[in-house]
Amino acid sequence: MSDIAVKASEPALAQRALLNEDWLAVAIGLLVFALALFSVGGVDLLGWAVTTSVYTDIAGALAPVAKAYAPLGGVVSLLLTYAALLLVLSIGVSTLGADVRKFATAFTAVFAIAYASWIVGSYAHIAAVTPAEQQKFGISWSLKLTNEGGFVIALLSGLVIANFFPRFAAWLKEAIRPELYVKIAIVILGATVAVTAAARLNLASSLLLRGAAAIVEAYLIYWAVIYYVARKWFGFSREWSVPLASGISICGVAAAIATGGAIRARPAVPVLVSSLVVVFAVVEVLILPFLAQTFLWQEPLVAGAWIGLAIKTDGAAVAGGGITESLIMAKAATEGIKYQPGWILATTTTVKIFIDIFIGIWAFILGYIWTNHIDKGPDKAKAGEIWQRFPKFILGFILVFVISLWLAVGTTPDIAKALPAAAGEANVFRVIFFILTFFSIGVLSDFRKLWQQGFGKLAAVYFVSLFGFVIWVGLLISWLFFSGVKPPLAS
Amino acid sequence: MSETDLREELKAPVEPLLPIEKKLIGWSLGLGIALLIVLIAFNHFVPIKL
Repeated sequence: MSDIAVKASEPALAQRALLNEDWLAVAIGLLVFALALFSVGGVDLLGWAVTTSVYTDIAGALAPVAKAYAPLGGVVSLLLTYAALLLVLSIGVSTLGADVRKFATAFTAVFAIAYASWIVGSYAHIAAVTPAEQQKFGISWSLKLTNEGGFVIALLSGLVIANFFPRFAAWLKEAIRPELYVKIAIVILGATVAVTAAARLNLASSLLLRGAAAIVEAYLIYWAVIYYVARKWFGFSREWSVPLASGISICGVAAAIATGGAIRARPAVPVLVSSLVVVFAVVEVLILPFLAQTFLWQEPLVAGAWIGLAIKTDGAAVAGGGITESLIMAKAATEGIKYQPGWILATTTTVKIFIDIFIGIWAFILGYIWTNHIDKGPDKAKAGEIWQRFPKFILGFILVFVISLWLAVGTTPDIAKALPAAAGEANVFRVIFFILTFFSIGVLSDFRKLWQQGFGKLAAVYFVSLFGFVIWVGLLISWLFFSGVKPPLAS
Repeated sequence: MSETDLREELKAPVEPLLPIEKKLIGWSLGLGIALLIVLIAFNHFVPIKL
């Protein structure tokens, strides 16, 4: 629903589409999860998937995730992973009505560049964190970005292509689908979050309850203030102000498009706002995790919640949470504190998902007000629009989470013991979809083109709202609800 | 929407805030702040358990 690069051909595609992007993400995410679950029963179907370790000699960088598949070697494992993704995604995008041949060629280039960026990010001088790691690799310095610094490199690669090689960016567009990739990743993430939560059920349930604060903040406080700023201070029309306020305050692209549709804005309006949201999300991902590492490393869950409240697209927010987690864990490790992984990212994801769930309801409320009080006409907002606007991929996340949690706490100890390894194999694909998301976000961010289109005034609203209000209120709320709460220590 | 359209639109005369928009902004903020206070109180009396 929010692939800006392919918007122009949407009406024709919609007629050919069997599924929408949300349902496709659910299908692919569930497929990966189901295949991973076979390993609980002793049949390892995904162990050949490629992982990358921190390295100084590239020959040792790649390997299959499961030891049983080690004889395959890293390169074969990488090729198998590429082939499997190409097959599944090609079938998937054919159900969206896309041109499969164009997708396949573009995806080959996208995967190659994005995964190469990931490999570069795992180079020891970039990724090694602790003095012990530096000693292990025989190096005297490193950027200490962890191997998830590869996300930033993938993003930068995409930005270079978008801004210096626009023809190549246009050629790639069939496979530039950041929202699809991140939705698949979020469905798969349900397993990791459940495994993490099962280890500390009290903390997990407390996090869920505090997600409610995020909904109040995004919909009732951010939206109202930004709508007022756009209308009163910058003089934007209602048609522009609604998608703009939704994009900045709720959930970027999806919210701008859903609420723009609800007030019957022309389709181009939310799409242009979405472009702006993506650009600002890129800037935030490049800055906020490092600020969080510097100023919030002693309050990891405040940092996680803050990222979820401040970055306004699902992809960038959840991926930003991943980077924040690695950076904070790295900083804590240098101080001798080793947190259990997963909690910071789980906090970001919980906050973001809570915000996402209400997009449909908010779009309905705005639709009701507009059709009954502002643009009075024969069309009234229908209750069915709540379901129509509901981000369906969240159902996939919830299903994977519930099944995984049940397997972890409601079945036999043997199954519970085998589950983390299965979730780990699924997580390999979650990481790959994140890499593809970062790269795709970069490719969509042609700063020069946006500036030429007269985006200055729209960007000014975004800048004033984001840096004058959203980031600081988000920090305050995150502090009020999460300060003093630390992730469990790794045993 | 062409580039000129967008530029022209952004220069269009300002639409005044209607009473229903003021109501929407006011109710959203009021309800939001009230709910946040309730949640902060809840957070205080039911702290996060490890």
